[in-house]
Amino acid sequence: MIERLQAIEKIAKEKLQASVTGAELEAWRVDFLGKKGELSSALRAMGSLPAEERPKIGQVVNTIRTTLEEAFESYKTKLETQWQKAKEESEKVDITLSPRLPFLGTMHPLQRVIRRIEDIFIGFGFTVERGPHVETDHFNFEMLNLPKDHPARDMQDTFYFHEEMLMRTHTSPMQARTMQQRAPHVPLRILVPGRVYRRDDDDATHSHEFTQIEGLVVDYGISMSDLKGVLLTFAKELFGEQQEIRLRPSFFPFTEPSAEMDVRCIYCGGEGCSTCKHTGWIEILGCGMVHPSVLTMNGYTDGDVTGFAFGMGVERIAMLLYGITDIRQFYTNDVRLLQQFIAVAR
Amino acid sequence: MKITWQWLNEYIDLSDLTPQQVAKDLTNAGIPVEWMEQVSPEVQGVLVGYVTAIAKHPEADRLRVCTVDVGYDEQLQIVCGAQNVDAGQKVPVAVHGSMLPGGKIKKAKLRGVESNGMICSAGELGLDVKMLPKEQTQGIFVLPSGAPIGESIGAYLGLDDTVMELELTPNRSDCLSLYGVANEVAAIYGKKVKMPVVDTMQLQSNDQTQQKLFVELATPKCAYYCGQVVSGLALAPSPLWMQMRLLAVGMRPINNLVDITNYVMLEWGQPLHAFDYGVIEDQTIIVRQAFDDEAIITLDDQSRVVQPETIMITDRHKNLGLAGVMGGQNSEVTANTTSVVIESAIFDPIATRKTAKALNLRSEASSRFEKGIDPAVTEVALSRAAFLMIAYAHGQIASEVVRVVAKEGLMTPTSITVHVSHVARLLGFTIEQAEMLTLCARLGFAVKVMDDEKIEVSVPTRRPDITREADMIEEFARLVGYDKIPTTTMKGALTAGGLTKKQKIERNLRDYLIDLGLHEVWTYSLTKPDVMAPLGYAQDHPLRQFGTLLNPLSEDRIALRTHMLPSLLEVAMYNRNRNQESIRLFEFGTVFLPKSLPMVEQPGEQYRLTGLMSGTIAPTHPHHKERMVDFYDVAGLVQAVFVKLGFEPKEWIVTKSEEPFYHPHQCAKMTVEGNEIAHFGRINKQVVEKYDLADTYYFELDLERIIQIVKDRLRVKELPKHPSADRDLAFVVERDLPVSSLLALTSKEAGEHLESVTVFDVYTGEKVAHEQKSVALHFVFRAVDHTLSEREIQDAIDRIMSAVTTTFGATLRE
Ligand SMILES: [Zn+2]
Repeated sequence: MIERLQAIEKIAKEKLQASVTGAELEAWRVDFLGKKGELSSALRAMGSLPAEERPKIGQVVNTIRTTLEEAFESYKTKLETQWQKAKEESEKVDITLSPRLPFLGTMHPLQRVIRRIEDIFIGFGFTVERGPHVETDHFNFEMLNLPKDHPARDMQDTFYFHEEMLMRTHTSPMQARTMQQRAPHVPLRILVPGRVYRRDDDDATHSHEFTQIEGLVVDYGISMSDLKGVLLTFAKELFGEQQEIRLRPSFFPFTEPSAEMDVRCIYCGGEGCSTCKHTGWIEILGCGMVHPSVLTMNGYTDGDVTGFAFGMGVERIAMLLYGITDIRQFYTNDVRLLQQFIAVAR
Repeated sequence: MKITWQWLNEYIDLSDLTPQQVAKDLTNAGIPVEWMEQVSPEVQGVLVGYVTAIAKHPEADRLRVCTVDVGYDEQLQIVCGAQNVDAGQKVPVAVHGSMLPGGKIKKAKLRGVESNGMICSAGELGLDVKMLPKEQTQGIFVLPSGAPIGESIGAYLGLDDTVMELELTPNRSDCLSLYGVANEVAAIYGKKVKMPVVDTMQLQSNDQTQQKLFVELATPKCAYYCGQVVSGLALAPSPLWMQMRLLAVGMRPINNLVDITNYVMLEWGQPLHAFDYGVIEDQTIIVRQAFDDEAIITLDDQSRVVQPETIMITDRHKNLGLAGVMGGQNSEVTANTTSVVIESAIFDPIATRKTAKALNLRSEASSRFEKGIDPAVTEVALSRAAFLMIAYAHGQIASEVVRVVAKEGLMTPTSITVHVSHVARLLGFTIEQAEMLTLCARLGFAVKVMDDEKIEVSVPTRRPDITREADMIEEFARLVGYDKIPTTTMKGALTAGGLTKKQKIERNLRDYLIDLGLHEVWTYSLTKPDVMAPLGYAQDHPLRQFGTLLNPLSEDRIALRTHMLPSLLEVAMYNRNRNQESIRLFEFGTVFLPKSLPMVEQPGEQYRLTGLMSGTIAPTHPHHKERMVDFYDVAGLVQAVFVKLGFEPKEWIVTKSEEPFYHPHQCAKMTVEGNEIAHFGRINKQVVEKYDLADTYYFELDLERIIQIVKDRLRVKELPKHPSADRDLAFVVERDLPVSSLLALTSKEAGEHLESVTVFDVYTGEKVAHEQKSVALHFVFRAVDHTLSEREIQDAIDRIMSAVTTTFGATLRE
């Protein structure tokens, strides 16, 4: 009997090792460990044995059963691991294949510059204003100290609809409009981004439509050193902590004294290169102290109230920041250019 | 304004400075030097030579063998091909080893004869031959007989001089002359200006040639008029040094009389004109306004009709010229002219400007009149010109100077009080009174101390730009240097700063559309009306009424746009032509709706958010099929935007849009509280074909209205405490019935416990009758305060059933 049991164990172990599929494994379990399996029938056959042998044989049967059960579990685990691996193998993907990207939209480069500059000046306590593109001669010129036939009107060749109605040539009319609306209230701190129009032929550096950002501060005791302080902070925020500025005397009919602001050339750092015409400096904006006539004409009649104003071309700054060389590209909207503005980098 | 370094040095001694340094300091003082360069830096070692003899070349008929003295111990033998070379001439000689723009000159043998250099033409010296009289550019460049043998030609012709171009701001018309620039440089360095001494040229008492000249000013537009007659003149080329200077600053040498008037204008800033005295009848010049439709033939042989604002120079019988703009042909100086009237006058800036502009005749002279002339130099310039005509044109003074001053106080300096405290307040740092006095002295302005706080500055007439205290403060600041201005922090009340609600919403919308994968574009406001024609609006529709420019620059930009669609279609076409398969764009743009035509009042400017999608909806990928964008993509995008803005779907109503450019059955508009806030849909075929595009979808949001109704606050709803009851019902209805109507009706009838109803299937096909469709709806019922009973649910369903049956004739699909 014992020999027979040992033979079963041997066959069982051999057959187990030969099982490969789940079905084979299950068949083996039924054959050897099931209620009608070999061991069970051996146990049933024990009834014909003398009573004194039964416990001993029973013990042998149980030992074999335990051995086989353990062998089964361990072999099953081993197989399942293999199956899992095979399945994963079959699910292999080429991880280098192009991913299923969501659409990535972009902010227009000019808008990007405007937002950065707005955020800088909001930090200084400025509010943001917008004004009409179609302006009156009154606000575009006269209220800014540019009477009719003033030679300085030649600085800005103008599109007209009518003698008194024109496309604004700068964002400065919003200086006059805002002052008239708020005078004599102080302080006034506004930033005006917006599109402006000049009667220029389009080429790589000229555009009949372009974008300006105007700034205006009116208060008691505002000085040119305050203007310089604000502009220096602005330049550092926009171009980096190391940035320096330089003011040069200039002329605008609506400021006195007037200045141009240069920044250290961001390409050569001041060494001199073709972008800065070998001067080491790049002109960024025009500025000055609000002309006394502009203040009084627009409602600030208290002689102790002073102010400063500045204006800059957004295209020019964007061209410097991003290395764009043709101003027309801002209005062509070639997606191949726009796509390069996906990154959130400055 | 161009000047040369050597010319400037005649009026102010700058020998301790370099042109580079002066250029830098002028720039920092507000007179930017745009560029500077040497006249002809390539010419090196070329000498003035004297042709002592000339012989025929033994081998070549067209060549001459010249013997030339260049100051060397031995004379040089030079072979020359020019036909105008002759013995006794002074000529430029490029000796062995010298440099010309064309390269280095070496000894050579020409057809067997040794040549020790080259006799040069004007072109070979690098001169601008287009600007020179023709006779000086053909053959070799013959020099005046007084040219010193052996002198460097660079020095002799001023080729070693440096030209500077000043970029003047409109207020600094005082620097439109060497005199003005010299004064500016003097102020920068504290140097003295030494202009040539100019005395009034007197008539000799025994002069038999005395002529008479009378001047009448019949218009207030001439503030000052000086004239003098010079006779005995001989028209000829002007001296070479004068020609070279004019050439260096970009003026064409013409003849001695014209060149002298130009030279004096550049020197003093006062434009001059020379009339042929012989044609002036009654010896009288009358300055008057033009008559209506008055015509004149100007000296460029053009007949011109002038406007009433034009100032005319006339005699009693005919006109002689356009004051300050151009002389008349009849009084032009010619080879036969022997007497001229030199005119030095001040004409009204605005009248001159209008005339020059209207006739498109802007010149060096007219631009100076437009900006204002210093009355203190008017007579000086006249006398200087008369002096030069005597020196270089055989002239004799033939009349006294006739002066008519029409404007009182013309010569009076402007008096300005400057407060020490105002300077400090405006600049943010203190300039001491003593320093102000020094600065005034440098500027050449007389000044008087009033008290510790005030000075009174007397600004000479050459600086008309300085009219008030702020102008003087700028003068002080720029001479001290803007780099001395400190940087300070603004004082005064704090302001919050920031964006308005509208600006914040715009930022949020922009960011959201970018997150949805759209590219923001910027397009021009100016367009042409033709672009609206294909959109299908009737000719008299408000959107086809355009504000049109009086002075457009190109045919494509003549009017303000009334619609954003054509702009976006152009961008789409541009990108489609560059193989972009998937086009997704949006723009925040302004459209302009005129209130009157022509546009005498400002138009309505409406800020719109618009977008366009065309081509494939997803980027091409190996693992999924590409799909073309369709109506539901654009509808979903627009509705997502509204959800993002805080609207709930039940707040808006979607109905068919009437915009004519859409596909008639694939377009919609959204209405909230009776306000149309958006429309979207598929652009119809006629339009997209014009732009060579595939199916294209457009949306437009009325930002102004949206901003008015958008909600400011976000409030959460409490989460449900009781279970919901979900029921599905499929209705068979007419195929044309909008699903939104079914949803609206069922929502209305379902009662207070309906939480939501959504469409989960729309079926057309063989299982329902033709002309019908099945719409499957998913209802969710819930009560806030209890679990709904089966009875309550069934009541709601019964109400729904009865309503859809009676209203739409719907049946329940089994
Ligand atoms: Zn540089």
